[in-house]
Amino acid sequence: MEAVLTGLFVGVLFGFVLQRGRFCMNSAFRDAILLQDNVLLKTVFAALLVELVGFAIMDAAGAIAINPKPFWWGANLLGSFVFGIGMVLAGGCASGITYRTGEGMVGSMTAVLGLATAGFFTAAGFLKPFKVNLQAATTVSGADGKALTLHGILGMDYTTLAIIIALIAVVVWYFVAKSKKDEYEADPGWGWLNTGILVGLVGILAFPLSAAAGRNYPLGITAGWIGVVKKILNFSEVSMGWLSWMVIGIIVGGFIAALIAKEFKFRAPKPLVMLQTFVGGLLMGFGAVTSGGCNIGHLLSGIPQLSLGSILAGVSIVLGAWAASYVMFILPQKKDQ
Amino acid sequence: MSEVTPTKTLDVCGKICPYPDMNTMTTLKKMEKGEVLEVLLDYPLSVERIPRNIKKQGHKLIEVEQLDGPNHRMLIEAHGLK
Repeated sequence: MEAVLTGLFVGVLFGFVLQRGRFCMNSAFRDAILLQDNVLLKTVFAALLVELVGFAIMDAAGAIAINPKPFWWGANLLGSFVFGIGMVLAGGCASGITYRTGEGMVGSMTAVLGLATAGFFTAAGFLKPFKVNLQAATTVSGADGKALTLHGILGMDYTTLAIIIALIAVVVWYFVAKSKKDEYEADPGWGWLNTGILVGLVGILAFPLSAAAGRNYPLGITAGWIGVVKKILNFSEVSMGWLSWMVIGIIVGGFIAALIAKEFKFRAPKPLVMLQTFVGGLLMGFGAVTSGGCNIGHLLSGIPQLSLGSILAGVSIVLGAWAASYVMFILPQKKDQ
Repeated sequence: MSEVTPTKTLDVCGKICPYPDMNTMTTLKKMEKGEVLEVLLDYPLSVERIPRNIKKQGHKLIEVEQLDGPNHRMLIEAHGLK
């Protein structure tokens, strides 16, 4: 019961913040090269920084025990690259397509369907042997047998290193921001910094609540959807876990936020585009499960825990998104000219 | 409602990210200086993203109006770099 309540609670908050803040990692990475627009990218960095500090303090205080994902370089590289390609085809990252389902965007619903389907077959179906073998064949653990982390490699305490990184990042940021004029003084909506801070705070809140429900990890998306599929197929008698309720909460939160802003409406792209977002979702589901996380599980939740696997996955997601954006959008423009 | 009469109308309703932005930018590029483009769109992220990016290209946002639901109407004056 606790998992249902706190999962839904965090999900509704997350969905609300995502919708009102227009937070999307697909746009963040793609726009940086396609539109030379870095606003959402700055939001992602702000969220990561807030989480880094939050996790570091909570870990030191004993409120959480960080649980970094393993480093399996082959699975991280391949899975996350495929995921990055998939999210460009799907028109949104794993969290983006989930909250937009609550906005009534049918193209995002077909993407979620693809994500859940391929995620299920990779986690528990015919693609499982491939995933298991690739992960096992490319796993590198730390000297203590634990997951490889930045603080582990440097032989440092997690909280100390996290605070050092956060301080360096803030100083670098301050000087970069100072050297540039603010081009976005008239940023409509919540503004990139507020959105980033709020996303980070939801991530911080998620960690102890999820851990209390028996799942010691902050936010994620893909595994939550797979849990929903298993429940629908009645695959297991086990009830849906915290993450699945959180994912359902995102849709509810996105829906409420869209209603308040009078932005809710069922709207569908052309059938061929829906097929494209579905195929994108399939690639995302396969990629996320192979790599052990999507843009939320690895990038938003894993990087602040300084997991080397998550850092590699994050880089690979960006590279996949850039490769797909180049082929889909930049190349056709060049031919046009 | 604005008094301005648009030279051209672009309907990108139902299009997925990032087509509303891309189609708006390419259309503006082909227009003469002073011509007005009316964009009809229903994707909230683009409603916030298009204004800041057309500005970088020198185009001028005249107004944004929310119609029913997520449907918006945007009027942009082209910079005319044709």
